[in-house]
Amino acid sequence: MSLVKKIVTWARIKSPWILHFNTGACNACDIEIIAALTPRYDLERFGIILKGTPRHADILVCSGPVTSQIKDRLIRIYEQMPEPKFVVAVGTCACSGGVFDGCYNVESGINAVIPVSAYIPGCPASPKAIIDGVVKLLTSLEEKEEAIKR
Amino acid sequence: MLGMLFSILIFPGLLFVSVFGLSVEYIDRKIYARLQNRLGPPWFQPVADLIKLLAKEDIIPKAANQNMFKLAPLFALTAVVTAFLYIPLWNKESLFSFNGDIIVVLYLLTIPTLAFFIGGWYSTSLYARIGSVRSLTQLFAYEVPLFMGILSSALLAGSWSLKEIINFYAGHNWFWFFNLLGFAITLVSFLGKLEKTPFDIPEAETEVVAGSFTEYSGRLFAFLRLTLDVEMVVGSALLAAVFLPFGFSLPPVFAFVLFMIKILFIVSLISLLRTIVARLRMDQMIDFCWKFMVPLAFLQILINLIIKGIILR
Repeated sequence: MSLVKKIVTWARIKSPWILHFNTGACNACDIEIIAALTPRYDLERFGIILKGTPRHADILVCSGPVTSQIKDRLIRIYEQMPEPKFVVAVGTCACSGGVFDGCYNVESGINAVIPVSAYIPGCPASPKAIIDGVVKLLTSLEEKEEAIKR
Repeated sequence: MLGMLFSILIFPGLLFVSVFGLSVEYIDRKIYARLQNRLGPPWFQPVADLIKLLAKEDIIPKAANQNMFKLAPLFALTAVVTAFLYIPLWNKESLFSFNGDIIVVLYLLTIPTLAFFIGGWYSTSLYARIGSVRSLTQLFAYEVPLFMGILSSALLAGSWSLKEIINFYAGHNWFWFFNLLGFAITLVSFLGKLEKTPFDIPEAETEVVAGSFTEYSGRLFAFLRLTLDVEMVVGSALLAAVFLPFGFSLPPVFAFVLFMIKILFIVSLISLLRTIVARLRMDQMIDFCWKFMVPLAFLQILINLIIKGIILR
């Protein structure tokens, strides 16, 4: 049983498919996320593929503060993803709400609405920082599995 | 009985063709990446993808037709794995060879497209419905040149069984050279069947999310991906058997290795084609198939009839 679990964990770490969702960002973080997916950084090396539908995705990459307009949509997209799923908040606004925190139409950062696994600060976060954040999330998964085993 | 089960489930059946399909997917993705000047996925990538998808949650939409939604991927996978049993791998005769098996293989290769249509249609998502209607529309465009291309080679050999075709070309060395035009037509139409780049209109990510696969997740999506991989192997094997029919008289091991090399050659041609071209629109694709591919296929048939009437008389 533990061998099967080990193989499944290995597969999950080696093949994270991401879904990119703009929750109200100014577009700067989105441009950086797209830049991270270009052949220059070649994320397919780590098995990362950008998917169009939440049904295929493992990691939801969100950028921007959650506006009241997008809140219901964000929850719906999150619920459409099959388990196990993780959320990465890219950019200062997604982490904490940034300069928009406290605005009448903004609900703070992503973690005010759905659980977040990794935070990548920066305004905007550079592609290298995004890749580093995703790799750290994956290694933390591995460590978590190790901890459960012990 | 036991031997038959072995050949259906292990070699050259389900297990062998799945593993070979996954390695072919790796080769395809690696060539695609190298041609785009990047490193590409590591060798275990398709296996990791498959295991991950098998271990994920299965979501079936409430509005979807449960049975159709679940059965469509299994039908598709079964059809393509069955088709592989009728293709000769190491000698002139396949395991279950009979007169007319080339038609059966072509028919079994059509079933996945219909299964994608049924699965997409009954998942009741709008994107999936648009994608499945597109894949069916596309079917009527590429299927005709595909059949005409493959059957023109059979026409020259004067038989509808793969065994007889290979026997004919073994007796008439270098006659397969006359079929190169048919080979090109079939290869291009085959890209439509695989939903690869010039003809990936049904699952165009920028337009219809993921086409008929939009609502599939977990195990069922893993089967669909495996179906596409195996379909690529079966199609390349059919092309290799019909259009490159040499070397089957070698000792079985060498013939098998040579056949695998031929399949990999055709797979790399497919990756090359999908790298260097961009996606067409649906109307452009249908125009292309009916205005250029079908007349060229007629030309191929004409050439073969002339050869049959003059040289072979």
